[in-house]
Amino acid sequence: MNRREVLQRTAMVLGYAVSGPALAGILNGCKATPELAYKPEFFNENQARLISELAEIIIPKTTTPGAKEAGVPGFMDGMLKEVFPKEDQDMFLQGLTAFDKDAKETFGDSFVECEPADRVAHVKKHHDAALANSDDRGSAGWWNSGNAADKPFIVKFKELTILGFFSSEAGATQVLQYNPVPGPYKGCVPLSEVGKAWAT
Amino acid sequence: MNLNIDAEKQNKYDAIVVGTGISGGWAAKELTEKGLKTLVLERGRDVKHIVDYPTMTKDPWQLPHAGKLSHEELKLYPVQSRTFWVNQANKHFYVNDLENPYTEIKPFDWIRGYHVGGRSIIWGKQTYRLSDLDFEANSKDGMGIDWPIRYKDISPWYDYVESYIGVSGRAEGLVHLPDGKFLPPMEMNCVEEVFRDQVSKKFDGRKVTIGRVAHVTSPLAHDPSRGVCQSRNLCDRGCPYGAYFSSNASTLPAAMKTGNMTLRPYSIVHSIIYDEKMGKAVGVKVLDAETKEEIDFFAPVLFLNASTLGSTFILLNSVSSRFPNGLGNASDQLGRNLMDHQYRAGAEGDVDGFEDRYYVGRRPNGIYIPRFRNVGKDKRTDYLRGFGYQGGGSREGWMRGVAELAFGADLKEALTTPGNWRFGITGFGECLPYSDNRVTLNKDKRDIHGLPTLSVDAEWKENEKAMRKDMKVAAAEMLEAAGFKNVKMYDGADNIGLGIHEMGTARMGLDPKTSVLNKWNQVHEVPNVFVTDGAAMTSSACQNPSLTYMAMTARAADHAVSELKKGNLK
Repeated sequence: MNRREVLQRTAMVLGYAVSGPALAGILNGCKATPELAYKPEFFNENQARLISELAEIIIPKTTTPGAKEAGVPGFMDGMLKEVFPKEDQDMFLQGLTAFDKDAKETFGDSFVECEPADRVAHVKKHHDAALANSDDRGSAGWWNSGNAADKPFIVKFKELTILGFFSSEAGATQVLQYNPVPGPYKGCVPLSEVGKAWAT
Repeated sequence: MNLNIDAEKQNKYDAIVVGTGISGGWAAKELTEKGLKTLVLERGRDVKHIVDYPTMTKDPWQLPHAGKLSHEELKLYPVQSRTFWVNQANKHFYVNDLENPYTEIKPFDWIRGYHVGGRSIIWGKQTYRLSDLDFEANSKDGMGIDWPIRYKDISPWYDYVESYIGVSGRAEGLVHLPDGKFLPPMEMNCVEEVFRDQVSKKFDGRKVTIGRVAHVTSPLAHDPSRGVCQSRNLCDRGCPYGAYFSSNASTLPAAMKTGNMTLRPYSIVHSIIYDEKMGKAVGVKVLDAETKEEIDFFAPVLFLNASTLGSTFILLNSVSSRFPNGLGNASDQLGRNLMDHQYRAGAEGDVDGFEDRYYVGRRPNGIYIPRFRNVGKDKRTDYLRGFGYQGGGSREGWMRGVAELAFGADLKEALTTPGNWRFGITGFGECLPYSDNRVTLNKDKRDIHGLPTLSVDAEWKENEKAMRKDMKVAAAEMLEAAGFKNVKMYDGADNIGLGIHEMGTARMGLDPKTSVLNKWNQVHEVPNVFVTDGAAMTSSACQNPSLTYMAMTARAADHAVSELKKGNLK
C-alpha cells in the first residue's frame, strides 16, 4: 500500500472525501498540484496546469475574478487548438516548455511546483526581458495592423490572457464596464461620470 | 399550345432587377412603387431583416475564440480575410472564396457578399455627394472621358435618396462636397474637436466635419420600422433596430409592401437574352443554384445591379452574333477602366491631456476631412485629383496592457482606467480611369456551377502612388499642427480592390464609341438594359460612392418607367 492508498482509505474510513487538490497537497507536501477547472483538449494536463497558473499570475483574483475564474485557461486551450496554425502551436509549446525548464533550472521545481513568490519572480524575469527587447509598436489605438509572429512567448501569452480575460463576461462586466446598448453617442463626458474603462 | 410560349407567359414580368445590394434594392423599390411587376433576382441565399442576423445581439463572450475565425474557417476566406474584418460575428455575410474563384493577374482584393442585401449589410455607411469638381474632372484634365451628367442632374435624386434612407451629418456649405438632407449629426469627442479647431485655424479653408453616415439619428416619419442608432457599433452583424440603411432593412421591405415584387434567391443570372430580330434584350438566363435548373425570365426592362464586377460579368458573358464580345460592347470599354479607392495610408499620434474626459457609446462613425488637394488655389504638380480623410480619436483600451510594464494586480487595476488618447486618419484617394486596368472573361477557369469566371488585371499607377505619399505627409502635417505627439505616418500598402469601391467597368458617357452607358444608365446599343451599380462610374472621385449608386438608380428607374409609358422601350 502506498501513501496515496493510505490516505484515500483513511478518508473513506473517516467518512469524508479528500478533494483532489487537497489530496495532491498532502501527497506533495506543501507543493499542491492545482486543480484544473476545465478539460483541456489541446494541452496535456501538466501544460494545462502551467498555463492556468501563469494566466492567474498575469491577471490574479483580487476583489474581482482572476484569469482562472474568468475561464481564460479554457479560452487559451480553444485558441491554440482551433485558431493557431500548426507552426504557431509549435512555437507556443516550445516557448511554454522553455519557460518551465528555466523555472526548474532556477528554482529546482517546475513552475507549478514553485513557491508562489518564486512563480511571480520567474514571470517577472521573462516579462521584463521581453519588454526590454521590444520596440515601441505597443498598442496602436485606432488602426492596429497587429502582426507579431516574432513576439516572445511571455508576451504572446500575456496577449492571449488579456484577450481572453477582457472578452469574458467576468472581465468585461466586473473588472471593466460593458454596455450592450449605449444609446446615442456622447463624445465628451467627465471620466468621473463614466467610471471605469469600457470593455468594448 | 407551345411550351415555350407557356414558359414565357409564366416567367414574364414588367421589369427584372438583377441583384439586391445597395443599388438593386433601390431599383426594386422604385420600379415596384411605380407599379411594375418586378422580378428581383439574387444569386445567393435569402437574408430577412432581423430574422437572419444570428449574431446581432451576441455579447463578446458568446462568440467563440473572442470572435476570431478558426484556422480551418480561415481557409474558406483567403481573399475576404485580407480586410482583417471577417470574424465569428459576420462571416456568414462574406463569400466563401473557394466557391467563388477568380484570377488575379495582378493582386486584386475582391471582397463580396452573395446573399439578399449583398454588401449593404456590411458596408461602411459613409455617405457623400459628388460635385461638379468630380463630374467635370475627366473633361478638365483629360484623363478618361467626360461624364454625361453634372451635379444638377443628380442633385434632386441625392435629396430624394437621402431623405428616404436617413443620413446623419452636418451642413458645411462646401461647394465641392455638397450638403445633403441631414438628420442630426453625431457628436465629435474632445480630441476631435481640438483637431477640427486647430486645422481650421492653421490651414486656410480646410474643414474637419463629423462623418456623414446612413444612420438614423432621429425618427424617420415615413418609416417607423427603422429605429435610432444605439451606438453599439455591431453594424456588420445586421442591426436589430434597422438604424443603418441596408436593402434588407429599408428598400426591399418597401418593395415587398407594394405587392409587385417577386424576390427569387439562389438565382444566378449568367447572361442576358438578346433578340436579334427585335434588336433588344428580352430577358435573362438564370441558373438555379439549388436545383441547377436553367430558367429564362422575360421583361421589357432589365436593371443590372449585380455589383460592378457582377454586372460586368453578365454583360461580357452575354454574347450573340450582334455582340460577339459582350452585350453593348461595341466600344470595347466593357470591363475596362476598373477603379477603386486607395486607403490605409495616413498618420496617427498621441494626444496629451483630456485624461479626465471620456465618451459614452461606440460611435459607428468618425470624422471626415473633405478633399482640399487640387481644389481652388491648391494646385499639386505631382498628381491629379485628391483625397479625403477619415479617422478619429479614442482612448486606448485594454489591449494596451500587453505592452505595459506590469502584470498581476497592478496591471488589472491600471486597465480599469481608460488609456491615453490616440488619434489617426487615413486618406481615401481618387483613382484615375485607365483602359488597361480591366477585367476579362476567363472560360478556362470555371466556378462550382461550371460558369466562366473573371480575370482581373489592375494596379495602382503613378498618379495613385504620388497621391499616396501625400496622403501620409499631409496627414502628419495636420496632426502635428494640432499639437499631437509622436506623430507617425503609416502605410497599410493595400492592393487595388481593398477599398471595396470597385467601379467603372461599364462607364457612362456621351459617345457610344467610348462608353457603354448613356446619361440615363442605359446600354447605348440596348437601351432597355440599365446598369446602375458602380460599373456605371465614369470617374471615381474620392468620396465613398454608394450614395451616388443609389441616386443614379432612382433616377434611372424614373426614366425607365417614363420611357416605358411613352412606348420607347417596348
